[in-house]
Amino acid sequence: MAEPKLRVLMVSDFFFPNFGGVENHIYYLSQCLLNLGHKVVVMTHAYGNRSGVRYMTGGLKVYYVPWRPFTMQNTFPTVYGTLPIVRTILKRERITVVHGHQAFSTLCHEALMHARTMGYRVVFTDHSLYGFADVGSIHMNKVLQFTLADIDQAICVSHTSKENTVLRSGLAPGKVFMIPNAVDTAMFKPADVRPSSDDVITIVVISRLVYRKGADLLVEVIPEVCRLYPNVRFVVGGDGPKHVRLEEMREKHSLQDRVEMLGAVPHSRVRSVLVTGHIFLNSSLTEAFCIAILEAASCGLLTVSTRVGGVLPDDMVVLAEPDPDDMVRAIEKAISILPSINPEEMHNRMKKLYSWQDVAKRTEIVYDRALKCSNRNLLERLSRFLSCGAWAGKVFCMVMIIDYLLWRLLQLLQPDDDIEEAPDINFCN
Amino acid sequence: MDNNLAGDSPPPPPPPPPPPPPRPKWRKVAYGGMQIGYDDNYTDETFLEEMVMNANVVRRDLLKVMKDSISISQYLCIVALVVLVWFHTLQSSLDETSLLLLDLSLLALGFLVLLLTEEKMLSLRLLLRYVTNITFFTTGLYVLAPVYQTLTRSISSDSIWAVTVSLLLLHLFLHDYSGSTIRAPGALKSPSLTSCISVNASVVASVFVASRLPSRGHVFAVMLFSLQVFLFAPLVAYCIKKFSFGLHLGFSFALMGLTMYYVYALHRLFFVLFLVLVVVVNVVCPYWLIRMQEYKFEINGPWDEAKLCFDITD
Repeated sequence: MAEPKLRVLMVSDFFFPNFGGVENHIYYLSQCLLNLGHKVVVMTHAYGNRSGVRYMTGGLKVYYVPWRPFTMQNTFPTVYGTLPIVRTILKRERITVVHGHQAFSTLCHEALMHARTMGYRVVFTDHSLYGFADVGSIHMNKVLQFTLADIDQAICVSHTSKENTVLRSGLAPGKVFMIPNAVDTAMFKPADVRPSSDDVITIVVISRLVYRKGADLLVEVIPEVCRLYPNVRFVVGGDGPKHVRLEEMREKHSLQDRVEMLGAVPHSRVRSVLVTGHIFLNSSLTEAFCIAILEAASCGLLTVSTRVGGVLPDDMVVLAEPDPDDMVRAIEKAISILPSINPEEMHNRMKKLYSWQDVAKRTEIVYDRALKCSNRNLLERLSRFLSCGAWAGKVFCMVMIIDYLLWRLLQLLQPDDDIEEAPDINFCN
Repeated sequence: MDNNLAGDSPPPPPPPPPPPPPRPKWRKVAYGGMQIGYDDNYTDETFLEEMVMNANVVRRDLLKVMKDSISISQYLCIVALVVLVWFHTLQSSLDETSLLLLDLSLLALGFLVLLLTEEKMLSLRLLLRYVTNITFFTTGLYVLAPVYQTLTRSISSDSIWAVTVSLLLLHLFLHDYSGSTIRAPGALKSPSLTSCISVNASVVASVFVASRLPSRGHVFAVMLFSLQVFLFAPLVAYCIKKFSFGLHLGFSFALMGLTMYYVYALHRLFFVLFLVLVVVVNVVCPYWLIRMQEYKFEINGPWDEAKLCFDITD
């Protein structure tokens, strides 16, 4: 088998069997990189009994490192505790590039720090937006500043996310690449027979029912739309704390037959719920990159959404301000342009606009750029940390010096040659 | 030497290469894959265009901040006066009858101020309700006075003074200086958690101090005095401030003068400390706040969570 061109280690706390946007992104990106001929290994923490090495489709090797999650799927931050295992994995798989995901993941930050100490190339992808004003965000931004002070390249999933990351970490904009997420268009196909939109128009909402996703806006918008258009019905999938408010709204306006609440919808059934509708409604108050809209567009639904400029072309989405009146106006406009929508044509367009293969190719370019960056020794790197802040800079320098010393100690106790290298097994065809 | 060889003209220069087709304009969108002619890390001048800096920052004026800080020093004086009364009662310089007289006069004065400054209180029914509430309150205190007297008999004096001091400090920290926890009925804002905690701390401190007194009459008088001041003084001060700022200033200065006089009569060192505290609160802290405002850097932009324009009524 030909020697793989790149050997990538993806690190994050968030991976399957947990389900979400970051997990999906890592999985699809890894699969497409494997198809391009590279070697990809994923490192994450143990989930329940699932601990050790597992192989997924296409030969994707996943290390479920035996650390228990501490809070919100994050491992307990021990700063130096992960150094031995990260070193072993990096040496064993002969990794060349380490790619960390999600600023909220402690495992990612620690692994990137150790990888930098040991001289590997490091790339980071940020998937969420953060504010600047509350205590949690301030600390998170400081940690991010530490990690990104010494990074080779960074990737963000949208232009808003790029601006946000540059402001939070003080990174030069030229180092940040904008590579969006994509959607698996093979899985999200429109229905063979489109439900007729003459007598009943169905509006689908699938999201977690929390404040951030605009569930309160839904409570205001749904009764108004039902009042204006007697032939519209709503299908609401998803669960959360605001579920109670939606039920109350149904009772108050007697909309039990016009608003159907499905509860939590597993990801495998999302497509079957989407194809029953004509319009997809997204009311989230803030979103780094909304994949739900892409899935809906891939199934041939017209989207009405808030705050997600630049994700879909203007004829596939109707944008609205996060204000009930404006959203009702947007839904009216969507209903009026609904007859001109052709789901098959929309699906085919989506195949060209977004694909994971394209994302993988662009990420490959980022890896090549990262590999071309010069390798700096410890003293030069320390000067970059000093600019992080009056006190923080010195603390960060101390942390990196101790990490370096611990690495040298480990090299003494267990020399590099003693770590057995894993053979590359060819899984494809 | 001739450069032109006979019969041979120099070959014509090759035609210039056609200019490369102009690359399409870069669009700030996420769809469509990589844009031709641009790298993924291309940053143009619209980067950070929608960022807004320091949109909600209030520009402060030194004189206004100093005037506002007078409310804080006024309340510090009130608390200092209460502590003085406690001190004198514990040393038996103030006896029961004078304390009771003090209580009654304060009650009458407070009522008068409220009547004069608040227009809503003029209805007779409301007045009658207040009188009945106060009667119940006073009777309740009188009945419970024996309980308070024996409450802390088994606890040593040092613990009592330590706890009282810490509770008073807690009370001062968490106090709501801009308004009043006890409001007239029909007020708009409900009291916050920290102001309720501060009221509770002051009440418990009063109970602890009262429990060290020799007789039931003393206990009743001191409890009534402390509770009156801690519960209703903020309301009276707030009404005066709302009514007229000049009156508020005059009231504050009078209180400060009174407090300084009595603290000086008590002990020189406490007087100096109190003076320093008032100067720090009124002069040094406003100046410091204004200086620190220069460092304020507030960032807003499209990444912020949208604010809902309607109230969520549960």
